[in-house]
Amino acid sequence: MTEEMERDENVFLMGEEVAQYNGAYKVSEGMLEKFGPRRIFDTPISEAGFAGLGVGAACSGLRPIIEFMSFSFTLVCLDQIVNNAANIRYMSGGQFKVPIVFRGGNGIAHQLGATHSHRMESVYGRIPGLIVVAPSTPYDAKGLLKASIRCDDPVIFLESEKMLGERGEVPDEEYLLPIGKAIVTRPGKDVTIVSYGRPMQRVVRPAVEALEKDHGIDAELIDLRTLRPLDAQTIVDSVRKTNRCVIVDEDYGFCGMGSGILQKIQKPCFDHLDAPIEYVHCDEIPVPFAHNLEEAMLPSVDRIVAAVKEVCYR
Amino acid sequence: MSVEITMPQLSDTMTEGTVVKWHKKEGDPIKSGDEVADIETDKATMPMEAFEGGTLAVILAPEGEKVRVGQAIGVIATAGEKVNQIRARYSLGMRPTGSAPAPPAPKPPTESRQLTTVVPAARPATMEAATSGEVHEPDDAGHGATRQPPVAVPPVPRSGDGNRRLRISPLARRMAVDMGIDPESLHGSGPDGRIVRQDIVAPRGGAGPQLGVGQKQVVPLTKMRAAIAKGLTASKQNIPHYYETIDVDVEDLSRVRAKLNEMLEGEKIRLSLADFIAKAVATALLQHPMLNATFNGTEITRYGDVNLGMAVAVADGLIVPILRGIQRLGLKEIRRRSADLAERARAGRLKQEEMTGGTFTISSLGAWGVREFSAIINPPEVAILAVGAAEKRAVVRDEQIIARTMMSLTLSADHRVVDGATAAEFLRTLKTFLEEPSIMFFMNELENPAR
Repeated sequence: MTEEMERDENVFLMGEEVAQYNGAYKVSEGMLEKFGPRRIFDTPISEAGFAGLGVGAACSGLRPIIEFMSFSFTLVCLDQIVNNAANIRYMSGGQFKVPIVFRGGNGIAHQLGATHSHRMESVYGRIPGLIVVAPSTPYDAKGLLKASIRCDDPVIFLESEKMLGERGEVPDEEYLLPIGKAIVTRPGKDVTIVSYGRPMQRVVRPAVEALEKDHGIDAELIDLRTLRPLDAQTIVDSVRKTNRCVIVDEDYGFCGMGSGILQKIQKPCFDHLDAPIEYVHCDEIPVPFAHNLEEAMLPSVDRIVAAVKEVCYR
Repeated sequence: MSVEITMPQLSDTMTEGTVVKWHKKEGDPIKSGDEVADIETDKATMPMEAFEGGTLAVILAPEGEKVRVGQAIGVIATAGEKVNQIRARYSLGMRPTGSAPAPPAPKPPTESRQLTTVVPAARPATMEAATSGEVHEPDDAGHGATRQPPVAVPPVPRSGDGNRRLRISPLARRMAVDMGIDPESLHGSGPDGRIVRQDIVAPRGGAGPQLGVGQKQVVPLTKMRAAIAKGLTASKQNIPHYYETIDVDVEDLSRVRAKLNEMLEGEKIRLSLADFIAKAVATALLQHPMLNATFNGTEITRYGDVNLGMAVAVADGLIVPILRGIQRLGLKEIRRRSADLAERARAGRLKQEEMTGGTFTISSLGAWGVREFSAIINPPEVAILAVGAAEKRAVVRDEQIIARTMMSLTLSADHRVVDGATAAEFLRTLKTFLEEPSIMFFMNELENPAR
């Protein structure tokens, strides 16, 4: 964010506790000191208000970054995001564009309870006019966030409180990662595993390792990076090679993100499938507060391994 | 004449009912109007009355069983009928069927009791056919309050056991079509007998997990293994094979190949020794047409084209794709086409017509370092050439022992069609072409100026 704010003075950050407190999760540490209160802007607890301010600012030529402490809170400002941000460009016949980034923690972090643990990707992933990005590594987070800030359309940038402490190689120099492109992070020949965001780090990569080590299954792993627009071609090309597919996310299964991915790929993959596409997702219950129950409802390494073995007929 | 008691439609949303209690036992006499059973619908439990008098011959739906509306739950023997005969007819392990006429159209809810017996239509010719029409829906399938009377679903074409539809993955179906295999003949190893990729070709990685001490594993034959086992046994049992081996000096040819590959570097094509051998074999076969032939036991068929089979090792098996009309092709085209065929053979993506119609086959194990071997003829062809590795050997030239790049070729021929001297002449021509490639091109031009 700092790099982009140095590069373009129209970029500013607004949200709860982003300035004086240096960010609820210290994401904006030191930025108030560097850019001053005009560009690092504390708001009251009023998501509908500051999301709407952001949309208006974006229409007026600025490039706001709106931080939500949790994407669960965007349920109170759906009107601003879905009705206004996503549609103004279309409704105004292109007279206004809305270059805004909504970012914050998405999904199940750690004992935040049912109301603070919503996975919003399938809510925003289905709205034309929005772009939905979900990085899974620090490297991807920088390249994708910079690309999102420079994007002329509204971007939903899904982070995870549990990934903010993640360490990884991040070059100091400038780089952008393309929006709308998935990446094959590990080539394999036996099955295609599709995932994104937090579960990649939490369970998918460990599952891929376990599959290779304990089961002799060579999985091809696709990190979607962008959920909307979905890079279906990369998935289809892979599944045509491996003939099997397992989708993993932490959404609810019914109408979940994975269901949408399934809808996009099943037809072009159909004649190449040797088994039905499997979808590993959360149990369909409110997210429990108790840690053991929270863990139990989430996709696990075991669940992924079981799904992969099923499609491989092992 | 016997009469079936069928499940009545007691409300307009009812699609199935449960026989909660039978008031009569098999063998009990029944008067018209007797309450024979209690039926539980989606709304209530109601008694059901008999419409016909007689004897309750068979109870088809035991207490507690869910039955679709219109389906028979019991049979009444009318006067003069033998209960035992009816019982025997229904006790072949057969379940009642949807063959009864559709139930009466829904009536206003007030008229909740109906006459429930219908005279069965002529029963299907065999019980087998009747059973196959049966369709069980999952228990929760009726929740949409369907207002249409249930319709008997026609039997679906089914696989060998006569009892189930063919289950096959889309990939396996496509592979079976491409390879000309009848899916009905395959054994499915997937859930519910689904035919999957591994039932057509062995799983990638081949031999399966390594077995520990004392363990054993029974591996059923894949379709391909079974075909290989059958075909090659027939070949070896029926064809009087004989073998002739010749050593060829390919030192000069290797140099020509290296030079050509240098020139072709920009085109990203690398000719292999096998391409030269294929070309030489095709040219030699034009001069010895008795080997470019097929034999059906009574007649020999000769061909103006050389359709050359190349044996390709695939996971747990062997496929022989055919390079058609290879005598017309240049080396680059031979390389391009054989690479494409071999790649698709390994991926299981060959079409049926790309694996049939061969007139001669080459099998090469040179890449594995095999010095020489003898191959089994691929019927109805009459000969096959086994190609060993090109390797430096000590040979005698002008009374000197020198190192030359040598290769051994072994021809297996069918003695019913090709005699020893004919085969030897073919091998001599082949040797000449490979040792002096320029002659081959010269001969080719002379023999076939139009090509």
